[in-house]
Amino acid sequence: MALIRNLLEFLIRIAILVVIIIILIPILLLAAYHLLGPTFPIEPSMLLDPSETLAFTLKLMDTDLFRITVFPGFTFVALYAAIAGLWERKLLAKMQLRVGPLYAGRFEGILQPIADVLKLLSKELVIPKVVDRFFYILAPLLTVIIATAAVAVIPVTDKWVIARSDVGVLVIFAVLGFFPITALMAAWSSNSRYPLLGGLRALHQMVSYEIPLILSALAPVVYAGSLNLIDIVRVQSSVWFILLAPVSAIVFLVCALAELERIPFDLPEAEPELVSGWLTEYGGMNFGLILGIAVYIKLYVLSALFTLLFLGGWLGPAFLPPEFWFILKSFIVTTLLLIPRGVFPRLRIDLLLKQSWARYLILALLNLLVAALVVLSGFSLR
Amino acid sequence: MGSDLLLILFTAAFAAAASVPMIIIPLIISPKKPTKPKEMQYECGQIPSGAGKMSLMMQYYAYLLMFVAFDVMSMFLFAWGLSIQTVGLNGFFVVVLFIGLLLVPLGFTLYHAGRREIW
Repeated sequence: MALIRNLLEFLIRIAILVVIIIILIPILLLAAYHLLGPTFPIEPSMLLDPSETLAFTLKLMDTDLFRITVFPGFTFVALYAAIAGLWERKLLAKMQLRVGPLYAGRFEGILQPIADVLKLLSKELVIPKVVDRFFYILAPLLTVIIATAAVAVIPVTDKWVIARSDVGVLVIFAVLGFFPITALMAAWSSNSRYPLLGGLRALHQMVSYEIPLILSALAPVVYAGSLNLIDIVRVQSSVWFILLAPVSAIVFLVCALAELERIPFDLPEAEPELVSGWLTEYGGMNFGLILGIAVYIKLYVLSALFTLLFLGGWLGPAFLPPEFWFILKSFIVTTLLLIPRGVFPRLRIDLLLKQSWARYLILALLNLLVAALVVLSGFSLR
Repeated sequence: MGSDLLLILFTAAFAAAASVPMIIIPLIISPKKPTKPKEMQYECGQIPSGAGKMSLMMQYYAYLLMFVAFDVMSMFLFAWGLSIQTVGLNGFFVVVLFIGLLLVPLGFTLYHAGRREIW
């Protein structure tokens, strides 16, 4: 009897969901139509006539709406996040002689991300009574929003970019500067001790490693003489900046690891001491939004930025399309950022902070001054 | 620049529109069986006592203060790095002097953050 009642309850909830979706989709379509309106002359006949389908699709692919929602925008990075998450689990499992996800999708657990999302969506949402509900719910949302805002200025090629900003590098660093705030927001609104300790550690760590990160990104900017990411890649057609500024590149990778709170710098989430750091009180899809989507979008942003600044972006031999080269290079950098998790132990917090200020800051400044001297001595790539 | 900012905001807004359902769907389809222990904050199985928002030692406060100075410095260096050809070698020496001046408080900060006996 109880089983039937539970089943009925579940079916009613599904029905409510379907009704909401049916109401929402026309509203969203209408909004999209108005967003496209002036730049995109759409006629109902184009949708119905099969001979116009290709022309219609090509026209659609040339709009801002398509770029924001699909290719360099949200769908692409969400897919990249899912693939990077699965790749991380499989790679670490193989490094530690385990098997990793195995059953979902028959072949090597390839459908595991979908299974994870379905599980998180259907889990009971446990929110502790003492939390500050508004900010508790807002923190994961804001983390995803901020991570995706940084994607807007990253060019996959010179054609596939959402916002052609002249100050792209600065925009990305400005957006990255918001992450300590969301971490602290989640920690403070949880009203619990482990999250508070983890949040304060996250604040110190992200803030300390932001300075070397910014300064190491300045060396390529000095060589290229531009803050526009498309220009920076074009200048690298003869030589990649990783050869001209190798110390900056290494400092950038280390600081990216620290900004991402990955092992060896995962003190904010250190399991043996802090349970799960500033994420301790989160569960279900709230947790999934931060750890499943936002963190991996941030991983994509930092590896794409490394590719653009040091590895020549989409430049590569012509037998493959430039989009492929960009995604391949970003994925290799992502793998480089994932591997330390299977290799290194964790640092202590005072050593971690001291290392940032006493070593990486000085190294980044030295390489910056060397780059400035090289440019002042008359060396130019343009 | 205005339209760039608008496009970045649109991208952020789409991310919001895509992730709000992720929070609403569990509210509708997930089971709800609240019990008292479930709704407490987590303290390793202990019954939590006292306020969650306690006062803590800010032993790395000096680093946060340094961040304020160095963040402004890094933005200033961006402005210098872009106009490096026009300011020339004289500008370079001024910047070296400027960085050297900021390294003195940095050394002081590192010394103070390393003094564990005063915390």
